[in-house]
Amino acid sequence: MCVGLAAKVVKVADGMALVDAGGAKREVSARLLEELEPGDYVMVHAGAAIAKITSDDEDETDQLLEGLF
Amino acid sequence: MGGQGAEKAREILASYDGPPARIMEVCGTHTHEIFRYGIRKMLPEQVTLISGPGCPVCVTPVDFIDEAVMLALDRHATVCTFGDLIRVPGSQMSLAGARQKGARLRVVYAPADAVKYAREHPEEQVVFLSVGFETTTPSACLAVDTAVREGLENFSLLTANKTMPAAYQALKGSADAFLYPGHVNAITGTGTCEALVSQGISGVVAGFTAKEILTALAVILAKLKEGKPFFVNCYPRVVTAEGSREAQELVNRLMEPCDSQWRGLGEIPGSGMKLREAYRDFDARIKFSLPKIEGRANPACRCGDVLQGKCSPADCRMFGTGCTPQHPVGACMVSNEGACSAYYQYGGNES
Amino acid sequence: MKETVTLAHGGGGKQTSELINKVFKAHFANPDLTADDAAVLPAPAGKMAMTTDGFIVSPAFFPGGNIGKLSICGTVNDLACMGARPLYLSCGFVIEEGFPMEQLEQIAAAMEKTAKEAGVRIVAGDTKVAGKGQVDGVFITTTGVGQMEEGVHMAGDQARPGDVVIVTGDVGRHGCTILLSREDFGIEAEVTSDCAPLWSAVKAMLDVTHRVHVTRDATRGGVGTVLYEIAGQSKVGIRLDARAVPVAPEVRGVCGLLGLEPLYLACEGRLVIVAPEEEARGILDALHSCPDCAGACVIGRVTEEQPGRVIMDTEIGGQAILPEPGGELLPRIC
Repeated sequence: MCVGLAAKVVKVADGMALVDAGGAKREVSARLLEELEPGDYVMVHAGAAIAKITSDDEDETDQLLEGLF
Repeated sequence: MGGQGAEKAREILASYDGPPARIMEVCGTHTHEIFRYGIRKMLPEQVTLISGPGCPVCVTPVDFIDEAVMLALDRHATVCTFGDLIRVPGSQMSLAGARQKGARLRVVYAPADAVKYAREHPEEQVVFLSVGFETTTPSACLAVDTAVREGLENFSLLTANKTMPAAYQALKGSADAFLYPGHVNAITGTGTCEALVSQGISGVVAGFTAKEILTALAVILAKLKEGKPFFVNCYPRVVTAEGSREAQELVNRLMEPCDSQWRGLGEIPGSGMKLREAYRDFDARIKFSLPKIEGRANPACRCGDVLQGKCSPADCRMFGTGCTPQHPVGACMVSNEGACSAYYQYGGNES
Repeated sequence: MKETVTLAHGGGGKQTSELINKVFKAHFANPDLTADDAAVLPAPAGKMAMTTDGFIVSPAFFPGGNIGKLSICGTVNDLACMGARPLYLSCGFVIEEGFPMEQLEQIAAAMEKTAKEAGVRIVAGDTKVAGKGQVDGVFITTTGVGQMEEGVHMAGDQARPGDVVIVTGDVGRHGCTILLSREDFGIEAEVTSDCAPLWSAVKAMLDVTHRVHVTRDATRGGVGTVLYEIAGQSKVGIRLDARAVPVAPEVRGVCGLLGLEPLYLACEGRLVIVAPEEEARGILDALHSCPDCAGACVIGRVTEEQPGRVIMDTEIGGQAILPEPGGELLPRIC
């Protein structure tokens, strides 16, 4: 449904954010998120940053699985 | 990737000894990743994964392609689109076919790129094919918002945007639990899915790395054993309870719900989004006075049943013979995310 | 005003000679390239190999090369993959009216340099000028003749179960570079084409062992396409280790944004080599001594099971079939 890619915010100006995914850079809209700062990680979809995120999935899954048992 | 979390999740999946479980992934990217990582093979026999209607290309009706072809060939508009729509068959031809007949067609990464093109080509009328669910719709609205601000008169949307909650209800009987599409929930938050629990609809929000998908499936199996309807957010690093307020407000300002045709599922009331009256100048259907088109899908195509989990792609008699990724008949074969395409490319029932 | 190629340059008269002298002779001069109707050459000893390829890349100039360099590498590498030392090349140009003369010179200069690197002589050429809009900038066709190394038999149907599959560097760079150069997607990344002539690398390998079953250059359709060709022709399965496939982070990033698979992106300086496992160490050592193959590594092996298919061992230890590539590469987003 929605290809998303985690990327690091490099620059924010005029409602746009320059994001970097492994060296691939692209301007995306920053207007869907309240506050965005360089250094934040975001999920990028169709030219917009759609969510602020933590950079990897390690802690998240561990905690969920611990909660199960 | 991999690591302890994935190991533990795999153990839970492998040792599942509960009743048969049908889990529907409603997001095409989930379908794609599940095949790409070979996750189906890691599940015990009594657990079935059903690929639901979560690829916007797959649920977009034939009429929409016909409208786009008409805009390109008959109204001479420049049609900007996401790559996946290019090869979807229409009643007469796909957009690729229209391109051979001289249609101006541009594949874009983002709706904003279509606006940029319109700005740089004031002599052309530019139409963006606005498909997608809650995740993608805000980007289309951002594009319209930009065009409004800049007073661009040569940009419009052909909308086929859809929303998921009504579809979950329509598909209620098809699965024991849903793997909710994490990036939709990133925008909408978790409220709508949590509310479904009271209607007996279960599911978890899932991310897209191998570990996240495995974990989400493990959580579903553990919860199914408990025997009560449930909701768990298994993608908290991205999905919050409230989602993106900004995106919700933007979409609400520019668009309103409408009834919408889903290929295979028929019309689902209130499951679509269209531009509000105030933005009619940016609605390609109004701007180009498009007639009502009744598309004709190939009657042998069983995409509808596939999308509802009523049959596996391999059960369709055209699968792999009359319908292949190179020569798709149904939309589910066109998109890389389509259930039929994924089955075909990743080796059908073996995967 | 900058000088451009005109229809008169293709008319066969004085201006045609001027163009040939100024651009092509200036760069390609060698004793075998004469003003006569055909080059007269000594016949190579033993067997010879011959191949031809057309180049229509858009844009004609990209980071890491241009269509001129590409047109030499493509043909030289096709010869090299058969185990043939490239000897002679011909090149045919179709140039669009209005094409900048300066760019044509840059293209010719790149061809000269690359031909030297590859140890091949350009011995025949042809130039046609087409009207505006009839071609896109410049199209080049090169034909190459090479001398077969004795005792070498490399072909697509020679892969055997147990063989290892080697790739000579990170995949998808050329395709990614071209994609970005077209500027359709607003993405920037420091990616340069892997375009390179590879005869010296093949020679270094063959100096170590002649027991190499298949060598293919992964051009259009990328490494994934080559693997399917080999699996089909040799009627074997190929088991790929997803974690072992080298991909530059920038290429991975671009592919992530556009929903593309690096294994299907074109390379212009990467070989896929299939050889018996016991030869792998020697082959890798030889390749590592070549500047364009420093990243050579084993990415999988040939199996008896699943003939005609390429199976991936995925990052989480699952198994999945690598989808067979086909059709237009379309970025997917939703």
